[in-house]
Formats: sequence, C-alpha cells, structure tokens
Amino acid sequence: MILEMFRRPRKAGVLGMNKRNADYIMAWNPRKAYPKVDDKTITKELASAHGIPTPETFRIFSHHGEVGRLDEKLAGLEQFVVKPARGAGGSGILLLAERFPGGFLRSSREPLTMEGLRYYLFEILSGIYSLGGREDRVLVEAMVHPHAVFEKVSYKGVPDVRIILFRGVPAMAMVRLPTRASDGKANLHRGAIGAGIEISTGKTLSAVHGKSILTKHPDTGNPVAGIQVPEWEKMLLMAAKASDMTGLGYLGADLVLDRDLGPLLLELNARPGLAIQIANGCGLEERLEAINSRWEEIGSKPEQRVGWAMEHFTAQVGFPVNSTGS
Amino acid sequence: MKPPHMKLAAFLFLLPAGLVLYKVLFMGYPLIPTMPGKAFKVLFEATVKGSPGQELTIKLALPADHEGLLVTEEQAQSGILTFSILLDNETRWGIWSGQLGDSEELISYAALLVPRAGLRAGSQGVSPGAYPQGTEPGERALARRMAMKWKGLEPQARLKALRDALLGKWVHGEPSEEDLASWQEISRRVGRATAALILLRAAELPARLVEGLKVSGSVETSTSQWLEVWTGGPSWEKIEVDSWAWIPSSVTTIPLSKGGAKALEVLQGQISQSCWTVTRERLSGWRAYLERVRTSSHPLERWSLFTLPEQYQETFRILLLVPLGALMICLLRNIVGFPTFGIFMPVLMALAFRSTGLAYGLVIFGGVSLAGYLARSALERFRLLLVPRLSVILTAVILMFTAVALVGNRLGQSEMMAVGLIPFVILTMTIERLFVTAEEAGTQKALRTAAGSAAVASITYQLVDLDPLQLTFFVYPELLLAVAGLQVLVGRYTGYRLSELFRFKAMGRAQ
Repeated sequence: MILEMFRRPRKAGVLGMNKRNADYIMAWNPRKAYPKVDDKTITKELASAHGIPTPETFRIFSHHGEVGRLDEKLAGLEQFVVKPARGAGGSGILLLAERFPGGFLRSSREPLTMEGLRYYLFEILSGIYSLGGREDRVLVEAMVHPHAVFEKVSYKGVPDVRIILFRGVPAMAMVRLPTRASDGKANLHRGAIGAGIEISTGKTLSAVHGKSILTKHPDTGNPVAGIQVPEWEKMLLMAAKASDMTGLGYLGADLVLDRDLGPLLLELNARPGLAIQIANGCGLEERLEAINSRWEEIGSKPEQRVGWAMEHFTAQVGFPVNSTGS
Repeated sequence: MKPPHMKLAAFLFLLPAGLVLYKVLFMGYPLIPTMPGKAFKVLFEATVKGSPGQELTIKLALPADHEGLLVTEEQAQSGILTFSILLDNETRWGIWSGQLGDSEELISYAALLVPRAGLRAGSQGVSPGAYPQGTEPGERALARRMAMKWKGLEPQARLKALRDALLGKWVHGEPSEEDLASWQEISRRVGRATAALILLRAAELPARLVEGLKVSGSVETSTSQWLEVWTGGPSWEKIEVDSWAWIPSSVTTIPLSKGGAKALEVLQGQISQSCWTVTRERLSGWRAYLERVRTSSHPLERWSLFTLPEQYQETFRILLLVPLGALMICLLRNIVGFPTFGIFMPVLMALAFRSTGLAYGLVIFGGVSLAGYLARSALERFRLLLVPRLSVILTAVILMFTAVALVGNRLGQSEMMAVGLIPFVILTMTIERLFVTAEEAGTQKALRTAAGSAAVASITYQLVDLDPLQLTFFVYPELLLAVAGLQVLVGRYTGYRLSELFRFKAMGRAQ
C-alpha cells in the first residue's frame, strides 16, 4: 500500500520538485538569464524587440519620487493594470476598471482613492511583492479583455494559458481558469483551476483543483474539457520565440487571449510549477526526455520545434503518450 | 563513471573517516567519545597533634598515575605545616612537616582521578625480582620446594594453584607434613603478605604488595592491602591479603604505596580521625578530554578545540552542531517537503531555544508571534512603508520581550528573562512573513507553515542540545566534512519529496 504510493508518481512519469530543480532548472537555466524573466519590464522590452505582442505598457515607475504627482502621471488613463515588475505568482496585481471621483474603481467595483493607489505603489517600490524584498518597479499596462472562449468556465478575471517549454519545444500546456475562491485570479495556489491542453490540437483536457482532478468548473458547473483554444499554433509559436529570446532551457510562458488583439505574452517564468502535470493527467518527464533524445530530428527554427511538438504530444485524458517511439 | 558530486561526497566522507580512524587506532581515542567519564574524587582528612619541641612529620602515600587513572586537580591543606611531594620509586609521598607544639591541626589531601585511555601497565620490565628483604636461604629453599609442583604450569594456572595453596588446598599434591609446619611458622613470623611474596618469587611470578583504596561502594574509609601479580597481562592480577580473594578487574583500585611500605606514617606526633573518602563522580566527558589534551604534545591534540579558552569552547560546541541542524533542514525540506518560514530561520530559533529551554521558548515565540501578528494587523490601516513598518514591529517585539522578562522576574522564572539577541530579528521577520502568508495564501497555509517552522526548530533544538553529540563533534571536528558530504548528497537528490506522493496522488489513480 505504502510502496504503491511510492511507485505511483514514478509510473505516471511525474517530474518531482527536486528533479525539476536539479536536472532542468539548474542544468538548463543559466543564472545570468534570470533577470530577463524576473523583471517584467525587461521581458516586455525583449518581447517587443522580437516581435512578440504583449499588453501595451502605459507607464513605468522606478523611484518613490516619481509617485509624487500621481494625478498628472496617470492623466489620460481610464482603465489599466498595476503590476510589480518582479512580482511572482500573480501577487500584487491591481486591476483598475474606471475613473471614480477622487480615484478609481477596481474591477471588483471597490473604490480606491488616489492616496490609496499612491500607498500601493510605494509598497510595490519597497519590494513587498518582489523576491527577497529587493527594490522593485511598477508597471502600468493595458487591461486585457478576455476572449469569450473561456467565458463559461471562468469566474470573473482573465484566464491565461501556461506553456512549458524545454529547449524551446512546447512540452505541456494548460489554461488557468479563475474561480470564486481565487478571487478572479488565475493562479493555481490561490484556488484557480488548471485545465490541461493537448499540444497537438489545442483542446482542453481535464482540470486540476488543488490536488484533485475535476471535469467541471466549480462555480459555473460547465464542463472544462473539449474546449478548442483559438489561435493555438500561433500561441505555441509565440512561446517558442519567447524561449529563444531568454536563453532559458526550461521555461514557463504565460499568454492571454485578448478578444481584440489575440494572443499576448503576459510573463515568463524560469521556475514554472509542477501542477500542470495533474491538469494534463500526464507526467512531464517522458516528454522532456523525448525532447532530449530526439533533439537531432526536431530542428532549430521555432516553427520546426512547434511542428514537432504538435506532431508528437497528443494526449487522451489520463494517458501519457509514448512519445519516445520505443 | 560516477557523477562528480559522488566523488566529492566520497572525498568528504573518507577524509574524516581516516582522521577518526587514526585517532582511534593510534591515539587511543574511544570510537564513541560519549562514554560516561567515570572519575573518582579522593579525599584524605586527618587531625594531627604534635609533641612540644619536636618536628612533626607525616608521610602519606598519594595516588599516582596508574593503570588508566590520571591524577588531576590535586589539593593539599596543611595549615601551619609545610607540605611537599616526594617521589620514591613507584610511590609518591605527600609529606607534612613542621613544629606543631601542643595544638591540633587539620590536614587534608584531595585529588580527582580521571580515567585515561592508553595509560596501561607496561609489560616490559616486569620480572620476578628479588626475594623480600630479610628472607633466609632456608626459607627460600622451602618455598622453592613447595613451588616445584607448579613448575610446568602456565603463569595464570600457576597463580591459581598458588592461591589455592594459600587457602590450604593443594590441588597439585600436598607438601610433606614437616614442610607445611615450617611454612606456617614462617608465615606467622614474617606475616601473610610477605610469606605469599616469598612463595610467588619461588614460583617465578612477578608480584608486589600494594596498599591502597578499593572502590567498592561509593565511600571507603580505610585502606586495604593486596598483592598484584603479573601473569603476562594485560593488567596485574589482584589478590586481597586479608582473604586471598581475587579482586575482579571490575573493581577499581587506587594504589597508594607499593612495595610493602605503610601508606600512612606519623613520626613525632599523633594522628587521630584519619580517614579516606572516595566518591564516584560522573565526570562530564568534557573534563576528561580537557585533562588528556592538557598533558599531550601530539600535534593533533595541540591543535584540538580543547586548547581554546573555556569561554570560547562553549560557543564552538554549539557552532559545530549548527551544520547538522542545517542538514536537518535540507532533509526536512528537500526529502520530506516540510513548509517553513525562511530557510535557516528554524535553526536560529533552535539556537534561541537554548537559552530559554524548549517549552518556554515555544510559548514565548508563539505568544510574541501572535501578539506581533495582531499588532501587524492593526498597523495595516496606517499604511506604513515596508522598512519603517518592519522597524515598528521590531520595536513591538522588543517591548514584548521586555514585558515578558519583567513578568518573569516577578514570577521568579529565569527562563522568561533568558532571551538572547538573535530572537528579535527572527521574530520580526517571522511576524511579517506570517502576516503576508496569511493575507495572500490564507490563514490555514500560514498556520501550517508556522507549525512546520516550530516543528523543525524543535527537532533541531533537540539535536543541537544533545551533549554526547556535542562532545563527538568537539573531539572529532573533522566530522563536519562528512556532514557537508551528506549535504552534497541531499543536494543531488532528485527523487520525489514525501509531500509530492500526496500531491500527485490523483495522477496515479488516473492511470
């Protein structure tokens, strides 16, 4: 019984935290490349240089002094998102939906005074949301208007698509759907659910909520499986290009689908989480090993890598595909 | 081909293993240096009285370094008399002398006898020697005749036969009636002990008469006499003179005078109420090593941590175990998957517990964290910036500690006052993290992490507080390399964490 418990994750080819850290992150992610993904302002600059669309940047605040005349600095902005540039795991993100006398209305309809916003910016600049409390920057960017495709399976908020890339090849993907419990945020550890996406087709599979596997959205009750993600190949290609621009071998790319602008790159993560495996009902390890062992045949162009992944990484719910061909 | 980290780990294991082995094999160190240090506190006390106009002299045989016992911390009290130590062959004499007149004086001698590995009776130079002084040729011939029957026996068996004979059992054939009668006559004249020595000499067994202290109970008040016979080692066989009973090697004996001299002699004076007291002391292993190293000239021992001044040794005892605490954290986080606040915060907490004790430490930490958490919640609406806010919490923590100390003082609880300097900073950071975790990930997660931190800190504290472990690392500081080796191994452990077995439980089922 206990032995069985030990064998289970291995049999399913699950990638564990230690192995991810030692064999993938430490082996494939050079430390000097981290700032490119840890600071969203740098990521966005790089992305625009490589022709990868991201939400439009309105303002960047780098120093406490700049926050002084906030009214003037934010003049002309009606609707925007405030983010800490180094925030991890979606922390510190503030959505301001419209102007309100003396301040703004948050997307949750709570008012926020200009003074309150200033304090919030100070907090971000002091590094409250950044790793290790380092001084941070504030990113003010355009709000994303989510595509209707996930409307039935999300509670408020903006669903985002996470794609894990290894050596620039998309290995696994999921869409993170906000729930009432996650307060409209698309982060799994806050209670959002993650639905696996079949790489070959862009169709959703089962979903993970905490540690368990779901088939229906907990708030809307609609089935999460079988939804076709629009512009799927384009999203994979954006992720593959993003991987090239960072030089990170093991990477998580977060994209959103804007109803008007299509797929946008939101952020990159050098230490993507492992819950994606539960969402796909499939372990990552086999796929990562397949990418390594068949590296020669994959090809170096982003298009070739995406093509190879779409050809090989198909999945029926709960069954890992034997992609090594052996 | 072995991965490079395995080579590093192997090197880190082999180096200290070699050093420890060298110390064990060639320097007589115990493999596990935690054996209780058995020590004996020896005390001689007497009241002496001189006679007017006469020089009083008292000769007392003192314990000497002997068969695994090292004499340390000697102290003598002599009042107006002078005290000196004289070495005479194998006996150390303590001599009190001076004009005492009619008055009485209390004299005393005290020493601590510490067991010392490697201090053994040497086998070289032990020969039968001469017959006791004053033995006549006729007596020698008689003794030789009686010992003839044991000639072919091994020394051990010869001694056994001889002892039986002393008890009247002639296992290898009784001597003639006439010889037996004259032997009894000699025994009466020279005394049992000397007669036995003559017989032992005749049987060619090296032997000596010793007067000393036999430690059977915890307190011994008089000396006893025994024969020590060498039958080839590893130590002398001992037979009590009074009863010819064997003294088993489990009984510790403290020889005072050797060669038949009386252990206490008074010239020109009177002695009353003289008594020896021997108490067993459970010497901490620390002192036993300290004594050993103090008298050594071996380079490894001159560079031992025991040579540090004592107030600094205290620090290093703990310091040497901190890496072990860190290893614990590695194991608990990377193999078990425990959540904790910060990486080494639990280790710092464990160190703080050392001054407060575990129970009080947990209560104080818990109480201050809770109060701090409430204070932090109250601060939230003032919207203070990060660093000043942390400073306010730090101030609050120190205020609370001060209050706890004052209350402790009132209640007479010294543990409540005994908080070192480390906890302030730890607690401040803990409170802030507790609050942020509670806000962002929920109270449940925050409480779980807090419980994880407390559990890891408690385990680490128990480990760091283990006296035997402290001693082991202090005696063999090279073991730190082995700890580093284990840390390297954990660093390359790429298997699942125990917590992941639960995390990915749903996946296996879908298979």
